[in-house]
Amino acid sequence: MRQEGRGVSASRILGLCVAGLVLTVLAFALAVRFGEQPISLSKALGQPKSTDAVIFWSVRLPRALLGLIVGAGLAASGSTLQGLLRNPLADPFVLGVSGGAALGATLALAFGLATVGQVAPGLMGGLSRLSGPALLAFLGAGGSVLFVLAASRGHSARAPYAALLTGVVFNAFASAAITLIKTLSDPDRLGEILFWLAGALGHERGATLGLAALLQAVTIGVMIALSGRLNLMTLGDDDASALGVPVARTRRLLLLATSASVAGAVALTGLIGFVGLIVPHVLRLAFGPDQRLLVPLSALGGAAFLVLADLLARVSFAFFGSEPPVGVITALLGGPLFIALLYRRGGPLGG
Amino acid sequence: MMPRLASLLLLAVLGFSSAAGAAPPQAAPRFLGPKKEGKVRRVVTLAPSLTDMVIAMGARDTLVGVSRFDTDKAVADLPRVGGFVDPSVEAVIALEPDLVLVQPGPGNQRPVERMAELGVPVLLLPLHSVADTLAALRAVGQALGHIKEAEALSSRIEATRARIREAAKKLPTRRVLLAYGFEPLVVAGPGSFADELLRDAGAINVAGDGGSAYPVYSVERAVRIRPDVVVDAADVDVGKEKIQSLPGLSDARWVEVPSFALLQPGPSLARGLEELFGLLHPGVQVR
Repeated sequence: MRQEGRGVSASRILGLCVAGLVLTVLAFALAVRFGEQPISLSKALGQPKSTDAVIFWSVRLPRALLGLIVGAGLAASGSTLQGLLRNPLADPFVLGVSGGAALGATLALAFGLATVGQVAPGLMGGLSRLSGPALLAFLGAGGSVLFVLAASRGHSARAPYAALLTGVVFNAFASAAITLIKTLSDPDRLGEILFWLAGALGHERGATLGLAALLQAVTIGVMIALSGRLNLMTLGDDDASALGVPVARTRRLLLLATSASVAGAVALTGLIGFVGLIVPHVLRLAFGPDQRLLVPLSALGGAAFLVLADLLARVSFAFFGSEPPVGVITALLGGPLFIALLYRRGGPLGG
Repeated sequence: MMPRLASLLLLAVLGFSSAAGAAPPQAAPRFLGPKKEGKVRRVVTLAPSLTDMVIAMGARDTLVGVSRFDTDKAVADLPRVGGFVDPSVEAVIALEPDLVLVQPGPGNQRPVERMAELGVPVLLLPLHSVADTLAALRAVGQALGHIKEAEALSSRIEATRARIREAAKKLPTRRVLLAYGFEPLVVAGPGSFADELLRDAGAINVAGDGGSAYPVYSVERAVRIRPDVVVDAADVDVGKEKIQSLPGLSDARWVEVPSFALLQPGPSLARGLEELFGLLHPGVQVR
């Protein structure tokens, strides 16, 4: 456990967060400027009726916003969970979220719930309608975390490890169940299931984006508010208690916040891997393990990383004639980066 | 806690399936988004079968974009707008179509809804069955102002079906297994396109007891069932020899489909049926 970087001053935190925000805004600007179709900015901004304007405002902008929202949630949750479970390999999906969400969505897709043919009339109705896969993914994610935490209760001393292990086992179980469903599904359904599992940023309505943004703002807010306590908790439960941290309650709150955040992300975009694992790691290597800095920076970094990965996915349409799911891009970028980081450090990762 | 969650999930599923009627196979073609007045001039299709329909009606010149699965030489030069589960909204919008033809599925719901919301008229055409295909042909004809041609195409399919059914009555019934792949053994099950055509051609689909339209079939069962004919509709031959050499399947007459018309819920359906009939009853002329 490295101790340098503790006690980062408030002004340094603020300064770094502002820098992170600038980078994120830059990434966002790039993401709405470029895409599958070349568009003229003057047309997009000057002629609201033009096709370019429609693409810019109604297709790209919502999608980039979704990338920001989901990326921030995944990376902030990843950073928090890595601290909370005292395990640098923890990612947002480790507590059974991925298995539960994937199982829910796979069931919805296998049963053919919510196809275009079943769109409610009055498309322009203000209220957003969650699709079957999204709803079941959300329920599955939330339910599985509750299950994993309930199953690993009563191991208070080893709680982080018990929860981790239970999560890993649950995910393995869910993935077997998914494989079973895939085997029993029609080939055309199978394609849809595989596509969802790979994770992609889709097209959400404004109201859905608003809901998602609200959820992430609240959950990331909780993570940031408790990040000081989390710093102390990485010393171990006993030391943290001695320093006046209500350990059990803080852990519960943080687990709840991360689960809600990840469930909200997964419901909208499927399983986008590596964002929640890589971004907190890179930042920890660069700025030390202080969670007061890591959580907000991870949120910003995750948002920028996912938006840029999605931009790459959309631009590669020109080469492939099809858009690879963004989950594929994040893994292709993140995998080598992760290995390189491990290799460079040459020792156990600080947590 | 867990039972409550389970019941919640169950409720959600039931709510959805009852509200939605999980993927009704007989859903009629319908429009989404605004309806444009006047003649349709710019059409984008998101499935090869739908492209075939437009071309067969003589409306090739209205096509401005197709899916990435389209291999027809007639549309080789057209821009691709993605696939069945991943159509690109941006690419479609940029083509400024006044009609998008879509085979609906759970995977393309979001992008297709988005297109409709952004003012692109979308025509949803379910293609699960022969009846769906005929309805889709008529709907596309109506939308493109090629009603006569569409009528001719669907009448031809219906006439061919009637003719083949009539001819099959006088011929011995064949017990057939129709395979789409050998590793794993994927066959035409109940509710599949080929299952309907097999019945038209007077055959018994031995996999009619399969669990779904395109089930992964048990090799043991295939051996025990001893089909008279195995129709090879697979596009790769991986694993074919192993299956072919099994007792119970080695005695069957193995035939290969001459084209993929059998797999296309489109205007080539009539030809697919004739080909299938020819495979099952070699040398019999239907005129």
